[in-house]
Amino acid sequence: MSLALLLMCIALWISNSDFLGASNVVNTTRQISMLGIFATGIAFVIITGGIDLSIGSVVGLTGVIIARLSSTQTGGLGYPLWVGISVALCAAVAVGLIQGLLITRLGLQPFIVTLGGMLLFRGVSQTIVDGGVISMGDSPLLNLASGGLLHVGRDPLFGWPLLIFGAVAALGAYVLHFTVLGRYIYAIGGNREAARYSGINVKRVELLTYVISSGTAGIAGICYAAYIGQMSQQVGVAYELYAIAAAVLGGCSLRGGEGTIFGVLIGASIMRVIDNGINMFQVQYTDQDGIRRIWRLNPNWNWIIVGAVILVAVILDQIVHMVQAARRLKETSARRPVAGPPSSSPPLPAKSGAA
Amino acid sequence: MVTSATSESETPLLLSMRGVTKRFPGVVALQDVSLSLRRGEVLALMGENGAGKSTLMKILGGVQPADEGEIIVGGNSVALSNVKDSKAQGIALIHQELMLAPNLDIASNIFLGNEGAGGLLRPLARAKMEARASELVAQVGLTLPVTTPVSRLTAGQMQMVEIAKALSTKARIIIMDEPTSSLASAESEQLFEIIRRLKQTGIGIIYISHRMQEVMDLADRITVLRDGRYVGDLERAEASHDKVVAMMVGRALSSEYFPEKRAQTPSNVMLEVRELLVPGAPDPVSFSARQGEILGFAGLIGAGRTELMESIFGVTPARSGEMRLDGKGYHPARPRDAIAAGVYLAPEDRKRHGLVLNMTVAENTSLPNVASYAAFGWLNRKTEQQVAEEGVKRLRTKTPSIQQAVVNLSGGNQQKVVLAKWLAMAPKVLILDEPTRGIDVGAKAEIYRHMAELANQGITILMVSSDLEETIGMSDRVVVMHERRLKGVLERHELTQLAIAGLMTGQEYAAVHQAGGRKAAGEGELTVS
Repeated sequence: MSLALLLMCIALWISNSDFLGASNVVNTTRQISMLGIFATGIAFVIITGGIDLSIGSVVGLTGVIIARLSSTQTGGLGYPLWVGISVALCAAVAVGLIQGLLITRLGLQPFIVTLGGMLLFRGVSQTIVDGGVISMGDSPLLNLASGGLLHVGRDPLFGWPLLIFGAVAALGAYVLHFTVLGRYIYAIGGNREAARYSGINVKRVELLTYVISSGTAGIAGICYAAYIGQMSQQVGVAYELYAIAAAVLGGCSLRGGEGTIFGVLIGASIMRVIDNGINMFQVQYTDQDGIRRIWRLNPNWNWIIVGAVILVAVILDQIVHMVQAARRLKETSARRPVAGPPSSSPPLPAKSGAA
Repeated sequence: MVTSATSESETPLLLSMRGVTKRFPGVVALQDVSLSLRRGEVLALMGENGAGKSTLMKILGGVQPADEGEIIVGGNSVALSNVKDSKAQGIALIHQELMLAPNLDIASNIFLGNEGAGGLLRPLARAKMEARASELVAQVGLTLPVTTPVSRLTAGQMQMVEIAKALSTKARIIIMDEPTSSLASAESEQLFEIIRRLKQTGIGIIYISHRMQEVMDLADRITVLRDGRYVGDLERAEASHDKVVAMMVGRALSSEYFPEKRAQTPSNVMLEVRELLVPGAPDPVSFSARQGEILGFAGLIGAGRTELMESIFGVTPARSGEMRLDGKGYHPARPRDAIAAGVYLAPEDRKRHGLVLNMTVAENTSLPNVASYAAFGWLNRKTEQQVAEEGVKRLRTKTPSIQQAVVNLSGGNQQKVVLAKWLAMAPKVLILDEPTRGIDVGAKAEIYRHMAELANQGITILMVSSDLEETIGMSDRVVVMHERRLKGVLERHELTQLAIAGLMTGQEYAAVHQAGGRKAAGEGELTVS
């Protein structure tokens, strides 16, 4: 996948050198970062074998709460920014907690619980903005999206969203790959019964993953509020699907037990580079009359291309898995003769590296 | 025979269980069972399928708490209400289906749930864990790097990882539930070697196995359970294959329970199976079943009976070999072919493969044949109901109406719906896999009566049963399987519990057969008279 991403970037750069121009890079990086923040969160859920469909609505809900509480414009209550942000984040965590409790304590299916949550919190957002739009005006929050460290010209080299994503991803990678909690998350996704029989508090770990997922969606929601500036109920629609696609492209299996934060980073990048690439990709040619023209992708193909990329990626992944499984089966049967004489300890296929 | 109290004082007791009782809805899985384990002892726990061995082990592992009774570990009475309690008492349970996370490596699996003190967010001490894991796997004779993912291991290697995991918790009591059931013989040997070594370090091992030879080689003592009750203990010196089998099956046959057998079975062959190689089986099998005959299939769980039936029914087509049904070639590639030829299967797991639980009696009865009642795709509810009513009447199914969802019926009546479904289609061969599992005594007798009736009507029944009493009571002849091989076919006059139990625990046909003085049939060979 990393290779695919690299090839995609090179192809786009060759077709249109503006792809690596400062403003496009800054913008694409910001998009990747904002998606990456909550894709990291949902990866936790997906690795345990669960799913969270509500995060797009949580992104919207967070932004709408901030606008409602802190905006000085029409519809805003004009409280200080920190009040809006704190309330919004608490709301996001509460959503994760409630959904997680329903899933783990009542044994409800994550798909249904979070589908309900997705619709319900979308509706809450709609009620808060009363079906309209609340503008953030020139709130200092907007600097969160446009500002950053180490300015080069007008654009920051490290935008705040990128730095936040960096922090979330680093923390996520640390927790997932280097702590006991991370180990438990993989174990639950790999074999839930084995985890339970090993004395792991499976329900508590799963609850935590839903809180993490919703919490990161809240953090992303703050960034989106700063970026968009005009909060309506439409903010964050279908974002959960983007996040799931990013996680799956990054190597998470919806069956659970597989995936890495680095993969999620790659997956989120692919999703956003495709989006950006559909606008940027161009082929220059000279027509019969000798006039130089530029051929561009039809923007109506956006969803077709995104969908096709996801399908092709998972198809390839499945084929690789099937080939590996077949090879392993062959090795196993070759190793174990039927009722043969006892041999010395069987050799193991010398394979290394990640799949 | 019962000697459990005589020598307890010699070596200190690691564990004793007294008066343990466990009830499940509708069944008493364990009734007043006692058991003891000394230091450095291998205690074999034996019993037929359903005797309560696994339940007992789950109680010790803290997976299912006991309803009554006392458990004493190292002299103290303990409560084992969850897995953690059990681990804290130094008890490690190694399940028959190995409990490892395939996506994690060996070291991670060994320390899963046991990463050391502290909260969830403490860092993993990878280096330390890997070093310790390496020592542990070396102790159990594994030479792999501990960073190998478990999904790459063979069943035997996984077993070793499970044992290493038990050792990592400093377990004093290790319970192994049929550890060799998925191992090749070389791997089994390796396991036995490790068990002997563990013994010398003072660890007590409770070893559950159906393989008599293993038990005789390994065990210091044998505890036998039957029908959820404690039968007795045998020291190894006094144990013999026959003695243990006798204790395992020891109930008296209640002959009036089963319908009387006919004087003789018809002689024309209905189903002939020649050199059929079932996927996964080491050798091909051959046998034949006559018209109107009930042919029993005895063996332990995992003996390959269900797989054989699935090949005959076309679920997993055979890799080679020949079958003839009623004189014509019969080669089902999928269940539809079998059904079209008149061969039907009532599967072992009624609830999973046999019925659509939330559909009604009528809908279930018509399911395989619903297309033939339908004109232009419209369901003909009238015919459906007629057929269902007939089925209910014929088998005397107790249901408030044919519109009742089968999930609300008792096990026995559910089984009758499965039977009715196939009877509506005039079967030639009916395969019944564990026809009375989970069915209460009264309903069992009724199912037996119906089976005998069907056989009298000329239907050939292949009955897979793990209940010896039932196998002997119902079958005209019995095919015995062991470890996916056909061990022999017993004629009606040879049907004794000892003979069948001997074959199914791995004795050779000749040994069982010698009393009759007849020609010993080789593997797969059948007396086609």
